[in-house]
Amino acid sequence: MTESNTPFDHRPDPVLGEALRAALAPRDRAEFVARVLAAANRPADVLVDVLARWARLGIAAALLAALAATLVVGRGRRAATESAVGGADPEAVVAGVQEPEVGVLFASYSDR
Amino acid sequence: MLAGLALAGDRGAFGELVGRYADQARRVARAVLQDPDDADDAAQDAFLSALVKLGQYDASRPFGPWLMRIVANAATDRRRRREVRRVEILDEGLVAGGQRPDVAAEREVLSERLRQALAELPERRRMAVVLFDVEGYSHAEIAGILGMPEGTVRSEVFHARRRLRTLLADWRDEG
Repeated sequence: MTESNTPFDHRPDPVLGEALRAALAPRDRAEFVARVLAAANRPADVLVDVLARWARLGIAAALLAALAATLVVGRGRRAATESAVGGADPEAVVAGVQEPEVGVLFASYSDR
Repeated sequence: MLAGLALAGDRGAFGELVGRYADQARRVARAVLQDPDDADDAAQDAFLSALVKLGQYDASRPFGPWLMRIVANAATDRRRRREVRRVEILDEGLVAGGQRPDVAAEREVLSERLRQALAELPERRRMAVVLFDVEGYSHAEIAGILGMPEGTVRSEVFHARRRLRTLLADWRDEG
């Protein structure tokens, strides 16, 4: 055993280390490794199942959201158009100018 | 390398990592928990936790300290949860330095005494001395593993050694 003269000995003590190693020595390493690997496989399966379920739910939710968004946007456009034309036929509004009546036109001229 | 393969889903690589670090992880866990079954449970928890967290591991750094930090935390958590009771089972004959028919028996008695002495140390001190003198980690690495300043690690190792060396010296004198 190497006695250190200072509290801050930088070197490991091989004698103490070996004694502690023997005192803490685990047994059946192969059995332990097999046990850990078996446990590692179980959560992985569960995890994959969970992720797959989440993925399916996520895809379904995304589709529903897309559908809902399409409906909302479509309804919003229609409502905006109707409010702009005041209930008239949108095509007539877009078609534009109606010709003025001739009598009205001349009457306004002769009044001057 | 192995960690990267394990992260990619290579179970053989993970198995190799477990085999390589199994003894070390179990010793460190036992330094905290004393009971070998509890220690194995904690070590297993640590390996499974490490598998889940492999994506967080920085491959440019040594794998051992990263894993040992997880082991230390797993062991501490388990000790807290289970409120491990320290049962003092002292064989009167062994304490009195009774019959020691062969070397193997002597070593077992010494081991038992060391385990008892370790159990009397504060938890961080136990882990520090085991990580330093048994597992060969540097003070800086242990500081990272245990989350304490390097100077504190040196102090903990020193105090633990002083206690354990006294015990070993007494044992030699008795022999």
